[in-house]
Amino acid sequence: MNDRNLARGLFLIAISLLFGLQAVRYPIGTFSRAGAGLFPLMVSSLLLLIGVITLVRSRFETHVPITFNPKNIAIILASLCGFAVISAHVNMIAGIVFMVFFSSIAASSRSWVRSLKISAGLVAMAFAFQKLLGLNLPLY
Amino acid sequence: MMEVLNNLAFGFSHALTWQNLMFCAIGCTVGTLVGLLPGLGPLATISLLLPLTYSIPTQGALIMLAGIYYGAQYGDSVSAITMKIPHASSIVACIDGYQMTLKGKTGLALFTAGVSSFIGGTVAIVVLAFFAPMLGEVAFLFGPADYCALMLVGFVCVSFVTTGSLLNGMAMCLIGVLLGQIGTDVTSGMQRFTMNMDFLADGVGLVSIALGCFGIAEITKNLDNRDERTPFNGKINLIPTWPEFKRIIPSALRGSAVGSFLGILPGGGPVIAQFAAYAIDKKVSKYKHEIGSGAIEGVAGQAAADEAAARTSFIPLMAIGIPENAVMALMMAAFIVKGIQPGPNMIAQHPDLFWGLVASMWVGNCFLLILNVPLVRYWLSVFKIPYAVLFPSILFFCCIGTFSVNNNLDDIYTTAVFGFIGYMFLRLDLDAAPLMLGFILGPMLEENFRRALLIGRGNFMVFLNRPISGTLLGVIAIFIVWQIASYFMKSRRPGAQPGPQPDPVPLG
Repeated sequence: MNDRNLARGLFLIAISLLFGLQAVRYPIGTFSRAGAGLFPLMVSSLLLLIGVITLVRSRFETHVPITFNPKNIAIILASLCGFAVISAHVNMIAGIVFMVFFSSIAASSRSWVRSLKISAGLVAMAFAFQKLLGLNLPLY
Repeated sequence: MMEVLNNLAFGFSHALTWQNLMFCAIGCTVGTLVGLLPGLGPLATISLLLPLTYSIPTQGALIMLAGIYYGAQYGDSVSAITMKIPHASSIVACIDGYQMTLKGKTGLALFTAGVSSFIGGTVAIVVLAFFAPMLGEVAFLFGPADYCALMLVGFVCVSFVTTGSLLNGMAMCLIGVLLGQIGTDVTSGMQRFTMNMDFLADGVGLVSIALGCFGIAEITKNLDNRDERTPFNGKINLIPTWPEFKRIIPSALRGSAVGSFLGILPGGGPVIAQFAAYAIDKKVSKYKHEIGSGAIEGVAGQAAADEAAARTSFIPLMAIGIPENAVMALMMAAFIVKGIQPGPNMIAQHPDLFWGLVASMWVGNCFLLILNVPLVRYWLSVFKIPYAVLFPSILFFCCIGTFSVNNNLDDIYTTAVFGFIGYMFLRLDLDAAPLMLGFILGPMLEENFRRALLIGRGNFMVFLNRPISGTLLGVIAIFIVWQIASYFMKSRRPGAQPGPQPDPVPLG
């Protein structure tokens, strides 16, 4: 079933259960002396209610197909994580260069020269941050 | 009266130091730039630059962040008028502003927007100077139950205004509240929802959520859309004739009044103020028959309302301590990072900060007038930057921003996770702005809720017995009933089966 309203309802229910089922395990206490679990439990029940309403309502509304393009988001997230890994193990300059080159796969047009120029610009900017704003960047 | 003038003079003595002037100028410039660029709103920019302000002195940092916010509102209207690129906050400017461009009157439209924004900003600052201290005194009457009710009103209003759907917006607010629960419970010291991961004990980083939901998700959305923009190449003649200039003033003043008022209300802010100002001009203006086809009034009123609301929305934050929209929630985070609790005590405890900020808003107004009227043609060259260059740079800022909060590379993974969640929200047609508000207000809501119940000995009547909270909850109840009623009216009209009954949300 490719329906955005339905998916939204399911998504909300999933989140409310994720938090709600954990909250039950915390001390609930009484209303006059609330435990750690009471408030999250109330909020997640409210969210569950909204999720169920959304789900039920989606049955009566026109279906809107959901568009999901996994390629771009995957590239962007991978370049973020790559940046973190490379900065931790090599240094941040290499991280920046990797991020620029890897994320350029998602761009509509690709060019090595342009990516090189962007990397150079961003590395220069990182140096400026380090020297002028006093950020503690492990650049090299 | 004299007192306010004295205070303003005191504020200007703080705002006009070289250092603060510089921060104000940087804020306004960056704000305008961001307002012009596609795909980055004030929310994303403030969260990007929030970590960079940690090393700046408190007053300078707040002045700069405020400058970014209202600067972005200015910049938005430029791209709306010249190229019909609507941002979140300049949908109305696209109507008449772009029509004027089509008629070859771009210069006039830009001049009108610039001058009206200036007028709107100035009026709003007067309102801010008089009204914030007054409201601050009212805020001392508020008890925990009243704060709870006020936050709920904020949730309902923001949900409805930003998403147009109460259900979706409320869901996002609640998700935000739940995310705010992650970490150590302040009252009992218990760790909640940390999944036994140490780095979650302090809670999820605000910057990670903001950058994930607004930065990363926006980049990906723009990459998915792949729209190429044609830069503006028309001629710009900025100097208006006297009769044209005379038409700007009344409309701008009307817009300022509307904007100042709507900026104060919970859930208010620039977006709703623009629509209201435009609607009013369409009703009462002398040239109302021209509005919609490129009239000066159609640009002036909404531009003034936009700027006015951007500034008066600081009033609830600084006077009561409750942010009324997502941008203000981020500003609140900036205050707290700097060790200042916004609220009724702020004006008394940090008068230099409050009045300095108010004064700097007017200074920023002057900067923006210069940046946006004589220099506007240079700004338009920003649009020649292709997105393929822009998005790696935004990505870089996201990384640096996340990293420099704690000097910890692992935070980038958190940002990546929220980038994915943000993208999911986007595809499910859920707006992330209410989430931000919920996230920041969540811990406050819980604390006040528990305190109120403690005072009321577990009886929920404590929320209804107090006049302030009782009234506010009544307003929410009426609003929800009205929403349900209008839903049923809509579904009955075409003869469809009646929809499911959304139960009135139990409050408290």
